[in-house]
Amino acid sequence: MAPERFGNGPLGDLRVIEVGGEVGEWCAKLMADLGADVIKIEPPGGAAEREIGPFLDDIPTAERSLHFWHYNTSKRGITLDLESAAGRELFRRLADTADVVLESYPPGYLPSIGLGYRELEGSNPRLVMCSLTPFGQQGPWRDYRTSDLVHLAVGGQMGECGYDEVDVAGAPPIGPGGGNAWHTAGHYAFIGIMSALFYRGVQGAGQYIDASVHDACALTTEGGVTQWIYNHAVVKRQTGRHAAANPSPRTQFLCADGRYVNTLMFGLRMSPQQLLVVADWFDQRGLAADLKDEKYQDPEALNGSMPHIIEVAERFFAATTSDEVYHGAQQRGFALGPVRAPEEVAADEHFRDRGFFVTVEHPELGRSFEYPGAAAIYHASPWSIRRRAPLIGEDNVEVFGEIGVAREALGVLRESGVI
Amino acid sequence: MTSKPLEGVRVLDFTWVRAGPWCTRWLAVLGAEVVKVEWPDPRLAFNGRIGGAMGAQGGGPNAGGHANDQNAEKLSITVNVRSPKGLQIIKDLMLVTDVVVENFSASVMDDWGLGYEVMRELKPDIIYVSMAGFGHEGRHAAYTTMGPSVQALSGLTFLSGLPDAPPAGWGWSYMDDTGGLYGAMSTLAALHHKQATGEGQHVDMSQVAAGITLTGPALLDLSANHRPSRRAGYPPGNRAHWPGTPLMNNYRGRTVAPHNAYRTLGGEHFDWCAITCATDEEWSSLVALMGSPAWATDAQFATNVGRLEHQLELDAHIEDWTRTVEKYELMDRCQASGVPAGAVQSTEDRVEHDPQLRARNLFTPMTHPVIGTFPMQQAPFQLSATPVPVSRHGPLLGEHNVSILGGLLGISWDEIQDGYRDGTLWPAHVPMEHVDYLFERPSGQLASREG
Repeated sequence: MAPERFGNGPLGDLRVIEVGGEVGEWCAKLMADLGADVIKIEPPGGAAEREIGPFLDDIPTAERSLHFWHYNTSKRGITLDLESAAGRELFRRLADTADVVLESYPPGYLPSIGLGYRELEGSNPRLVMCSLTPFGQQGPWRDYRTSDLVHLAVGGQMGECGYDEVDVAGAPPIGPGGGNAWHTAGHYAFIGIMSALFYRGVQGAGQYIDASVHDACALTTEGGVTQWIYNHAVVKRQTGRHAAANPSPRTQFLCADGRYVNTLMFGLRMSPQQLLVVADWFDQRGLAADLKDEKYQDPEALNGSMPHIIEVAERFFAATTSDEVYHGAQQRGFALGPVRAPEEVAADEHFRDRGFFVTVEHPELGRSFEYPGAAAIYHASPWSIRRRAPLIGEDNVEVFGEIGVAREALGVLRESGVI
Repeated sequence: MTSKPLEGVRVLDFTWVRAGPWCTRWLAVLGAEVVKVEWPDPRLAFNGRIGGAMGAQGGGPNAGGHANDQNAEKLSITVNVRSPKGLQIIKDLMLVTDVVVENFSASVMDDWGLGYEVMRELKPDIIYVSMAGFGHEGRHAAYTTMGPSVQALSGLTFLSGLPDAPPAGWGWSYMDDTGGLYGAMSTLAALHHKQATGEGQHVDMSQVAAGITLTGPALLDLSANHRPSRRAGYPPGNRAHWPGTPLMNNYRGRTVAPHNAYRTLGGEHFDWCAITCATDEEWSSLVALMGSPAWATDAQFATNVGRLEHQLELDAHIEDWTRTVEKYELMDRCQASGVPAGAVQSTEDRVEHDPQLRARNLFTPMTHPVIGTFPMQQAPFQLSATPVPVSRHGPLLGEHNVSILGGLLGISWDEIQDGYRDGTLWPAHVPMEHVDYLFERPSGQLASREG
């Protein structure tokens, strides 16, 4: 029998159950948009994530959280109370039909109510179960309380982001916004889960994955950790560029339109040929200063003069809009980018060419909205948002029907607080 | 010996710099045979092998610490793709390869005569994951990126910083790491599809697009509510909301106070601790922990909205207290009281002092034949049936020329030695220093296969 396929994406034959709160919802969204049938279990009345803003038209109700909308596309939604015996039985039946259970309850909670991996794999040995929790299932910080910001602190992100003293005196380390501790954890969890599924495809057996947000964040600061490990050098915060053991040249420059560009073009070694290209460009505004001078055609002299070259560049950037700098630099082979706010990102024609922004219907509102789309174009198995985030309990009838719950019983389950 | 989950998958790895190698590092750690195709040109810093941590000590292409870590568990071959013989070697390898990964700008593989159409002719079910900054489609596909420009272009730099100050941005290439993870995710999704259907494909990833997906609530606030992010009080530093600006959500979860980093005893660069209270209950616990000072029991701080409205005062009072306590002690005391708190950790703190990472064995010692024994970064997840310890150091340059070119393609020892002289396996203008092992003929199976 050919396996049932849910979506056209590469994960279109998978069923995933997501339960236990906001930590796992990004990983599950990535899987849902890639075709998996993700069933999100919320407590009766709806998930706490529905209380997170912003809200559509600034009307704060559970069905209008834009946060919830973004993180729960393409999922089916059901309500279920795992504290009730009937709820636990229904969860067990659902887990029997699942390829993946992704849970983010506090460590030990699911085993304590008889729904740990040991119990679930008994009747579904092919199950891949991932616990994605703040600190993992063991260790002295296992039960510590967290938030995205707390993870960015202990994970090392904040220690490396911030300001030069000259820009903001006494500035704190900065935890970038947007929920990136959860994102990072979700990316690694996705990798762990998919690898376990691949193994299952070969060997037949599922397994349990203990994934930790803290481990994930601690691993995601590029060269800082290796500079400590191999050189015992500690990197320190600087404005808009890599934290460094010793102060490094600025890479972020203010343009004529009040916006910044960020570039490594003058932070790394530059060749004499590249300098000529830059000098010709700056010369179009009469701002090449002495950069065309023969002396800079000696590579050693050139690299000894970088502070001066950066000063000349700063004057050119200050006289030029960020968009002109961006395209002008790119057309000359420099990997420079403007520091864009989301409104400038949304207007980018290149990503429109790629079909990045997608329109998602909200039939209950009679309206459609534009969402961010796919990081990658899968040429044989297209990514898609199949549906907007589920309404509270929207798929109770369908999903519970699939595991044999009589439709007329659903009312009683609701009255009993089970769903 | 237990298996690893991706055993049996072979990856031909053309990646360089960081995003691509970080992608293939995870594929290798998970058990795929990742064959790194290198070209030892010192003008390209030996493909990233020098530069970065411990690179500048004159030890040649095998002395890079950063490269050791990011190439752990991979194999290395040296092949000049731009020579006819080298190109043929790569094409022969394609026949026995499942996945090709690269993070060049869009046209490079085509220019080499190794575009997807060529690959597919050789191996119809091949998976090709390209990781260009802008992807291969779209009007600016020829543009190039580095981590910092990906962050700038995608909106991630903008959301990091204090209002009315320049963007603080990211103090490392977050999108090299995250782009790499997206590359690994794309590869695994395509492998799953192939396992289910037998079908390969080209996955055209864009690192900038990957970055944009991480700003969803801000983009929806724009598209649905027409609210721009260039506005008063945004980004709000470490706070969820900047005092004195209109009260609204700023895309970092619940809008709560306290939500900030506070100075701790010592006052040095890393003497800070983050504290957040999501509920009145957590706030009450913090008040009790501080010894219920008079200011904290004032009614204006009793509710979240009150705390948000009086955040400057709130944070100043909290910091008066935190300055008297060492950061880990503060963190532990808060946590013992049920208050979310975390010390701001430096790289040294994480590797040397973090008791949780130690308990999780995130850094374990590994010996590299050239540079010695150093901690190696392990996986941030534990697989119960197929553990994935990182147990092999980054490969020496060309270390696997004999096992791959000889073992897989049947190229003889003599032909390999010729390849070092005729520009196929080593650049003619580059002295073969620090690579004596390339001339040490292995004994045993491989040698006898030639006979």
